[in-house]
Amino acid sequence: MHIELAKWIPWIPAGAAVLCGLCAMKRQLRMASALICILAICATFGITVLISGSFSPNGNDPVKPRTVEVFDWISIWGQQVFSSRISAESYANENPGSKMIARDGTDGEKEFVVRKPIFVADFSYLLDSLTIVMLYVVTGVGALVAIYAAGYMAGDRGYARFFSAVCLFIFSMTTLVMADNLLLLFLGWEGVGLCSYLLIGYYYDKPTAVAAAKKAFVVNRIGDLGFLIGIFTAYIRYDTVVIHEMISTVSATMQNGATDWKDHLIPFMLMLGAFGKSAQLPLYVWLPDAMEGPTPVSALIHAATMVTAGVYLIVRLLPLFEISPYALPTVAVVGAVTALFAATIALCQYDIKRIYAYSTISQLGYMFLGVGFLSTAGGIFHLFTHAFFKALLFLTAGSVMHALAGQLDLRKMSGLRKKLPVTCWLMFAGCLALAGFPFTAGFFSKDMILAATFEKGINEQLILPNVMGVIGLLTALLTAFYAFRLWFRIFTGPEKYEMGAEHHGAEPDHGVRTSSSVQVEHVHDAHEVSWLMNAPLLVLACGALTAGFLGHEWIERMVVASTAEPARPPMMDEGVQLHGLMMVVSGVISVVGVMAAAYFHWLNRDATERFADRFVATVRVLTNKYYVDELYDAMIVRPLRVVGGIFYQVDRLVIDSLVMALGFLPRALGLAIQPSQRGALQGYGIGMAIGLVSIVVLVLMAIASGHNS
Amino acid sequence: MNWLLDLMLVLLLAMPLLSGVVLVLLPDLTKSMVRVFSLLATLATFVLSLIGACFFDWSNPAALSFVKSVEWVGAFGLQFGFGVNAISMWLVLLTTFLMPLVVLGSFSAIQDRVKEFFLWLLILESAMLGVFVATDIVFFHICFEFTLIPLYFLIGIYGSAQRLKAARVFFLYTFTGSMLTFSGLLYVAWRCDWVFSIATLYELAPQRLSEIEQAWVMGAMLAGFAVKVPLFPLHTWLPLAHTEAPTAGSVILAGVLLKLGTYALLQLAIPIAPIAADQFAPIIGLLAVVGILYAALICWVQKDIKKLIAYSSVSHLGFCVLGMFAFNAEGMAGSVMYMINHGLSTGALFLCVGMIYERFHTRQMSQMQGLAQIMPVWSFFMVFFCLASVGLPGLNGFVGEFLTLLGAFRAKYVLGPPYAVMAGFGLIFAAIYILFMVGKVVFGPLKVPRVENGHCLSCDLNLREIVTLTPLAAGCLWLGLQPSFILDTLTEPLEKIVEHLPQRTAVAHYTVDYPRIEVRMHMPMAQATKHAGL
Repeated sequence: MHIELAKWIPWIPAGAAVLCGLCAMKRQLRMASALICILAICATFGITVLISGSFSPNGNDPVKPRTVEVFDWISIWGQQVFSSRISAESYANENPGSKMIARDGTDGEKEFVVRKPIFVADFSYLLDSLTIVMLYVVTGVGALVAIYAAGYMAGDRGYARFFSAVCLFIFSMTTLVMADNLLLLFLGWEGVGLCSYLLIGYYYDKPTAVAAAKKAFVVNRIGDLGFLIGIFTAYIRYDTVVIHEMISTVSATMQNGATDWKDHLIPFMLMLGAFGKSAQLPLYVWLPDAMEGPTPVSALIHAATMVTAGVYLIVRLLPLFEISPYALPTVAVVGAVTALFAATIALCQYDIKRIYAYSTISQLGYMFLGVGFLSTAGGIFHLFTHAFFKALLFLTAGSVMHALAGQLDLRKMSGLRKKLPVTCWLMFAGCLALAGFPFTAGFFSKDMILAATFEKGINEQLILPNVMGVIGLLTALLTAFYAFRLWFRIFTGPEKYEMGAEHHGAEPDHGVRTSSSVQVEHVHDAHEVSWLMNAPLLVLACGALTAGFLGHEWIERMVVASTAEPARPPMMDEGVQLHGLMMVVSGVISVVGVMAAAYFHWLNRDATERFADRFVATVRVLTNKYYVDELYDAMIVRPLRVVGGIFYQVDRLVIDSLVMALGFLPRALGLAIQPSQRGALQGYGIGMAIGLVSIVVLVLMAIASGHNS
Repeated sequence: MNWLLDLMLVLLLAMPLLSGVVLVLLPDLTKSMVRVFSLLATLATFVLSLIGACFFDWSNPAALSFVKSVEWVGAFGLQFGFGVNAISMWLVLLTTFLMPLVVLGSFSAIQDRVKEFFLWLLILESAMLGVFVATDIVFFHICFEFTLIPLYFLIGIYGSAQRLKAARVFFLYTFTGSMLTFSGLLYVAWRCDWVFSIATLYELAPQRLSEIEQAWVMGAMLAGFAVKVPLFPLHTWLPLAHTEAPTAGSVILAGVLLKLGTYALLQLAIPIAPIAADQFAPIIGLLAVVGILYAALICWVQKDIKKLIAYSSVSHLGFCVLGMFAFNAEGMAGSVMYMINHGLSTGALFLCVGMIYERFHTRQMSQMQGLAQIMPVWSFFMVFFCLASVGLPGLNGFVGEFLTLLGAFRAKYVLGPPYAVMAGFGLIFAAIYILFMVGKVVFGPLKVPRVENGHCLSCDLNLREIVTLTPLAAGCLWLGLQPSFILDTLTEPLEKIVEHLPQRTAVAHYTVDYPRIEVRMHMPMAQATKHAGL
């Protein structure tokens, strides 16, 4: 009944983004932007709650997906001209979706044109239970983060700009999860990328932030090209980009088994997009750098919502992936390997937010592992719980930064539990969930994924899932360790800390704060954040602790009711059931990890130093993140730039030589007429030498121009 | 009212020209009066074209509306034929829409020889409109050539340091090409018993010309049109001309003049020499792809913002040509969309850069940084148009880019997935160079060049400049969200263009029956497989 309201979900934040943008112009109105943003996101959350009732599966009744149309976007029409109305009408009736118009033909006779869509991608929204789950995550976490940010960003110069971008992000993200065709999904996909770009580069006077923003956009573009090619291929394969139409075609194909190369290409290309957005190997490099953005942004965009878009994409289009026998296993392997890879890097980092960034990459890997072995419910469930605890972790990290004026280095803080009691225990809750400590949210979702993986391996007697499952368990151990390494480092041990260089919340021309040095001192001592900021954190902490056993049945029902239900579900009823065993195993692993962290980073910190000294080389490689950034720079970025430089020099020479040629054309003609006196061989030799020298000069010039800028 | 509709296109063409004459005749005008007069003249032309759009027969977009012919040299059957179909109508609207903004944007940039400047602009507008409304090849060619003269003076007189060299290269380059084109067109007319009407040539030329003749004619037409587009490797005049031209010149060059090339390819070259178009398509497609990547990489190492945007035009127009030679509905409609979109977004970028140049007298990226801090409004527009240019979905650039790539990907015999995939890398490079520029100029720590008069250190855009850019931004957003407004009118005229292509795939893409019939006629089997292999 309220379903038509859904069309407003993206557009309320879009309007709010414009309003916030207008607020940016007037200084007095800046504070209003936070309110506008919070209200808009809360309104979308309210609508989500209102419509979700229609999509909750009751008993065995399947829930019908609904499509809500907003307006036409890109469509190409083909037409057929008829001279009689009757034949035109019969033709129009045969082809659904076509329109007939009558007009005067060139010879004065009436003619009838039937237009039938060839390519259609409209602004229309697909609503089903999977969409509802995603909407809950996006708008729920979005609202909480916006409330937190209202306090966190207070006094910042770009306050309104920030909230404008956040609203734009909610618009894009809701469009992404509600899109009924791939092209609209791509709009949302690029839109969140843009917001990510704008918000990573929010502190735009910091060169590192600008570079990080650029990197995020460009690396995502590489994935997006894959996505686009996936759309093209899907279009030539299915003659449509509308998701539910494609899925019904796929189901038919799967039954008659007639697959071709396109069926294999589509999932691999879409996967590339998913790996870009969700920061998986080899396209993960942008996410750690993205931490240059304000912390609420890291929580909302780079942990809870945007980066999970890749997981959502695969789950949404699951049938398209299932049709190729290689696609989903690839997803699983990439996910598992990334999970382990990122977790090892997280062990040796010192920047709190970067640790969480690698942790996010690692946890996203888990989601892909789950989806890859057809535990879509597990994947989405982990997405759901991860949204809670990772947002919580980032925001508490933000509180620490807030308290210490932007300090993020683990080595420069210790024993802060007295100074920041609330933050301390909130972060503790988040770390427990991240570590998969028994009965927290992360415990249940991780268990669901790992159990499904081993079940698949054992029941179908495959080696791959078992190996990946072991990697998952190993990652779980590392996760528990690094999560609590961080927590123990910050909050236990002797109390000492260094303030950071940033003056968060202190506007330079703000009269009160700069009026006396005493006050400045006071403001800049470590302090707990206000309750405006802690209230949303409490909600998130409750979620991080309880969403596991409260939510897992609901999510499973919701996912099963959508198209994300695997066509060939893992043999649930026959074969071994591992959930119970897996709970015990992963619970033990998590406790071991936490205890190890407690030993090395709380009780006996000296042991850590000795331990690290013994593995200097390993630690150095891990601290430098396996030198992947350097590798990419040397292998791709620099060579491309040199090539650009060479091309430019060639281009310039062509212009210049052209001008010269025009000037010297008459003389050249005269010379050409005279017979050459030189021997032919000699001429070749000189020509070659000139050619070689000019190439060398070109390369040098290109390199020089590359270095200068 | 009827007389107005009857003379619509003649008036449209005469309006700027007559205003120019009036401008010359009126003595003792102050500079600002000249400016306001030109603004009013271009606005009136725009309003007139809007009236034209209202009375255009949109239900039959392939047919020519406002047909009118004026006798010229009766003995040779020469006449000025006027008429527009939907494609020409949109480009006419683009031209008349851009002109007032160009005039408004040059209010303060041009301080010397003001009257002459605006006179050249008005003449140029007439010439450009003439290309779009001409229905016979001689009239078409006259207008096509005549655009060179005003631009030659605009660049040569009002350009920056290397303006003379730029003007000379520009003129010689395009003029040489056009001479070949003209001979080709005359040859076609001769073979068709001296018929000059384009509509008649659509029917006659494919029948009269043999395959070899078509290839030669196509080559001749490409010589002129591909230079104008510009298609790699004939693009080298463009960076120089764009960079040295005054802002108004750059905007018109990017916005309309390059489109004369693509428009001529679309409306003349392909339908007149369809077999050759089909045979040349893989090569032209390849050149387009090479141009996309080559120019995009060059953009990345530029130090001069204007040059960067100029090279980006080369890259962008590659997409336009690629889609056009896919010969299917998606690609060709995308190509026309691309013409319009590129006119808006790149034109706007040139305006933005012009505003910076007026303030700081430099365009070197190393000289300025972090302008967002002192010029937030300008920065907003700059980033906005950059995003439109880089093809962000929701803004206009994406529509054309997506459709051209989709068309190229889907084309079965002429182009194909490899073309689209290679061109797709252009999207990545575009993101690299555009964000590289944005990161250098708009963001980062503040750095402003030392300005001699020192009066513009804290100057954001003034009202006039905001008024100049706002319609463009609105257009970018509107066409990004509602492109079907234009797309719906394009398929029918485009169908007419590919009607005589030997390769029935092109037409089959238009028929509404599924599954698509893809039969190749008139072409030996060996060639068909060769194309498929490409």
